[in-house]
Amino acid sequence: MAAAAAPMRVPGMLDANLRVRGRVPYAMDLNVVGMLHAKLLRSPYAHARIVSVDASRARALSGVRAVLTGADLAERDDIYPYYGPIFRDQAALAMDKVRFAGDPVAAVAADDADIAQAALELIDVEYEELPAVFDVDAALAAGAPIVHDEPPRLGQTFADIIVRAEADTNICNHFKLRKGDVERAFAEADHVFENEFTSPPVQHVPMETHNCVAWIDAGIINVTTATQMPFAVRASLAEIFRVSQAKVRITTPTLGGGYGAKTYTKVEPIAALLAQAAGRPVRIHLTREEEFVTITKHGVKIRMKTGVTNDARIVARQSTCWFNTGAYADIGPRLIKNGGYATGGPHDIPNVWVDSYAVYTNLPPAGAFRGYGVSQAAWAYETQMDMIAAQLGWDPLEFRMKNLLEDGQAVMTGEDMFDAHFKELLGSAAERIGWDSAEQPQRTGSKVRAKGLACIIKGTVTPSTSTAAAKLNEDGSLQILSSAVEMGQGAETALSVLAAEGLDLRLDQVSISRPDTDVTPYDQGTSSSRNTYSMGTAVRMAVGDIRTQLLELAAAELEASPDDLELVAGRVQPRGVPDKSIAYGDLVRGSRSGNLLANGVYASKGGLDPETGQGIGSVHWHQAAAAVEVEVDLDTGKIDLLKYHAGVYAGRIVNPVQAELQTEGNIAFGLGQALFEEMIFDGGQLQNGNLGDYMIASMEDMPKEISLGILEHIEANDIHGIGETSLPPAMPAIGNAVYRATGVRITDLPITPEKVLRGLRARAAQESAE
Amino acid sequence: MPGSLAFYHPTTLEDAIGLLGEHGDEAKVVAGATALTILMRQRLVAPSALVSLGSIPGLDRIEEVDGSLRIGAMVRHRDVELSQIVRARIPVLAETFGKVANVRVRNAATVGGVLAESDYASDPPAVFVALDAEVEVRGPNGERTIPARDFFVAFYETALEPDEIVTGIVVPVPAAGSGTSYHKFVTRSSEDRPCVGVAALVRLAPDGSAADLRVAVGAAAETPQRFPDYEALGRGHVLSDDIVGRVADAYAGAIDTLDDMRGSAWYRTEMVRVWVRRAIESARDAAASGPAAH
Repeated sequence: MAAAAAPMRVPGMLDANLRVRGRVPYAMDLNVVGMLHAKLLRSPYAHARIVSVDASRARALSGVRAVLTGADLAERDDIYPYYGPIFRDQAALAMDKVRFAGDPVAAVAADDADIAQAALELIDVEYEELPAVFDVDAALAAGAPIVHDEPPRLGQTFADIIVRAEADTNICNHFKLRKGDVERAFAEADHVFENEFTSPPVQHVPMETHNCVAWIDAGIINVTTATQMPFAVRASLAEIFRVSQAKVRITTPTLGGGYGAKTYTKVEPIAALLAQAAGRPVRIHLTREEEFVTITKHGVKIRMKTGVTNDARIVARQSTCWFNTGAYADIGPRLIKNGGYATGGPHDIPNVWVDSYAVYTNLPPAGAFRGYGVSQAAWAYETQMDMIAAQLGWDPLEFRMKNLLEDGQAVMTGEDMFDAHFKELLGSAAERIGWDSAEQPQRTGSKVRAKGLACIIKGTVTPSTSTAAAKLNEDGSLQILSSAVEMGQGAETALSVLAAEGLDLRLDQVSISRPDTDVTPYDQGTSSSRNTYSMGTAVRMAVGDIRTQLLELAAAELEASPDDLELVAGRVQPRGVPDKSIAYGDLVRGSRSGNLLANGVYASKGGLDPETGQGIGSVHWHQAAAAVEVEVDLDTGKIDLLKYHAGVYAGRIVNPVQAELQTEGNIAFGLGQALFEEMIFDGGQLQNGNLGDYMIASMEDMPKEISLGILEHIEANDIHGIGETSLPPAMPAIGNAVYRATGVRITDLPITPEKVLRGLRARAAQESAE
Repeated sequence: MPGSLAFYHPTTLEDAIGLLGEHGDEAKVVAGATALTILMRQRLVAPSALVSLGSIPGLDRIEEVDGSLRIGAMVRHRDVELSQIVRARIPVLAETFGKVANVRVRNAATVGGVLAESDYASDPPAVFVALDAEVEVRGPNGERTIPARDFFVAFYETALEPDEIVTGIVVPVPAAGSGTSYHKFVTRSSEDRPCVGVAALVRLAPDGSAADLRVAVGAAAETPQRFPDYEALGRGHVLSDDIVGRVADAYAGAIDTLDDMRGSAWYRTEMVRVWVRRAIESARDAAASGPAAH
């Protein structure tokens, strides 16, 4: 495939104007004739046996068109009412028991949402409460109540995930990484540090909550849904309804944000089952309160042991990670792999040992969340890096520089690093913040200022597959059929650029389809910061094929060799001879094929050995650094962010404006999680499950000064995803700056003012005692 | 049940009060609806009748009457924030309303609403209490006024009778030589409700001592907290670091602080200590540097 002469640059998102004016339709804007509205009855208990469900009064309510309970599903042989990407451990409605407060037990479809809601109150459920477990320690204790006491139901799983559910325990899955000989290395290390780090569950908070419309039409199950993974949802529904995938059609309009919340199957099964039961289209649209208990970021406890030599080399690391995956596995078993190996960090460490566990508890399910386990890992290792440096009197920058990976050194999963830019990213971040290892915290009144650094590595899902099709029309315009999901990140703009420059077309001559599984080719999903790279590659391959076809058609017409021809502004011409050019449209018409067609299939290779976690962890490695200056009020513990520099490696920047916006978005995401975001549970009951009680960052919380270093190396001829990459360094960089300002080391996120003040008081008490 | 919620738009206060009498506990007054909507969504309240004040003329005025500002119940937060007369006469009031939530909320939430809701974690109540404001209410037996410091009774509970409606609040313009302040301290997002909020008024005598000192602490307990006995520690004295510290310590010791997601009781006590001090200092400095008279 030949690249265009110069990369095309676009000014931001192509449909920004329409979006801002509210002219872009979302799934919730779809109205299908005869559509009903669904509501779900959810368990008030975190763990309880369902003794009985009596929905007769609800069924009798005027305007109610269908009511389903777990028992209705259990008795049917024509369906398989379970879903989940690894384990089929989640039922469309709970059957034998409920496993978290919020688990759906019954569903109603009615003429309007108010009637459906009223009907819920007429459903009588008798529960027998069971002992429950909420944190990983309790879940792993001897004699702990077991969240899933039935044998695991497996589906077609990911090739690279070893299903290791341990019977009679709450261990959902276990990932192992064994590199080198950690025991010996710890014995030989000059210093060994062992610390524990925790991150709480937090919420994605996409502006659009989960919603879909399902209808069954001439035997085809149709669902228009706000998902990041139309094909995963299709596979799920085909399995549930015991039909071929050809009989399920998923369409996906633009999303109002995803951040991982909309990966894999969520509300689609119950909507489709209700549509079947009612014989009418059914919409389900979760409230914000329901969204909070649908999927979360994993809370984690990480125990990390790191050995260093006197000359500041890291020689060994052993991590044990306990990811609280909640009541259902969702993609937890895969996430703990990425989060587990990520604890190896961006450092050249010859000996690494990781045990990473997904642990079932009676909390809402945890799943994919921007950063995908890497934020939790980076919080641990980048905090510990500074703890080690402080203890041994090293400069945190120099300590990192001494250990950051270079080309040819082995990453934690064993493959050689290539296209490494860690040192460049961290070095420039340090420079931009004005890092000076000798600098003392600056005190003004009760306020004290200091700086902090962090640098991270992140894999992208490997192996993975994206496919695309291209159609060149008889007017020379180009249509790309792709299942990439536009969720506000600018997928369509990025793909438009890549498609247009492949044939030297203008952007207004190119269209990108929305996902429609009846029409658009397969894509694994819009996740893992992979779209511009993976789907972009598939699109470029398809467009490259079209290009070849055009050159061959023109060669025949011009009686020239294809090698002597070039594509310029929608025409093929002998090199440097525009007088003899032929328009694409004329070539298409001349070919009598109606349109030129081509496919692009991108499938990355890799995967890890199940016993050692060695192999190809990622097709290439995403890299980012952050530098921050904070100001801490010593009287209150309150932290203000004065300056923030985000550095991220992009390979090639496809859309500079959106690359910047994605990176700024990561800063907002990161500072919220660093400073205050936390889902608070009491006995499994969420205490802050709404946007009045749960806070996300507002504009006024943004750092006073932001600088972005989106690093481009065009010559690398590669595109690195940046959707998540600059997020993980935010939390440890802020924590490290707070430590340098105050001497208070927080190891459990978030870094609240109260924790800082308690730390200051403890230090003061210690100092006066000494 | 669907269809069982009646929405009334009376055009006079008398009609509104009549509707409240008619529906009793089943009715809720609705103004900006920023609080009520959330409570209804969370099913914490389920009224069968909503009585809107939006069609009653005259409740949305800000006017100066006899050395006070009278602010109507339907005046929105944003209006107070931007009001020229409020900014000129009682700037701390404009500043405080400008610190509530975000501009979308402030464009809907009303002054009457924030009073009648009596949410412990609101900003304006502490300022009203510090400024000796009086709440005007109207009921079946006519009008009465309730001092702001007596108006807030407990969590979501006021001195209003069930069929009384807040019609406005009268806030005395601080005397010449006064300085005022309101410090909102948040522990989470900038748009969060306060962990503690402290309002202070200091009026300096010609000799530099505090002729008046008033301090009200919001969000730390069920209702705004004001302690005349501890204010007296500062009155008549030059507000030195020592004196201010004694007032702050007294407030910290006196308030039975509550525990919520914005901070534990221990932390709140410490924040009362910090922010009472800072609020008095700000008010003192404003009094010292401000215009001698207006």
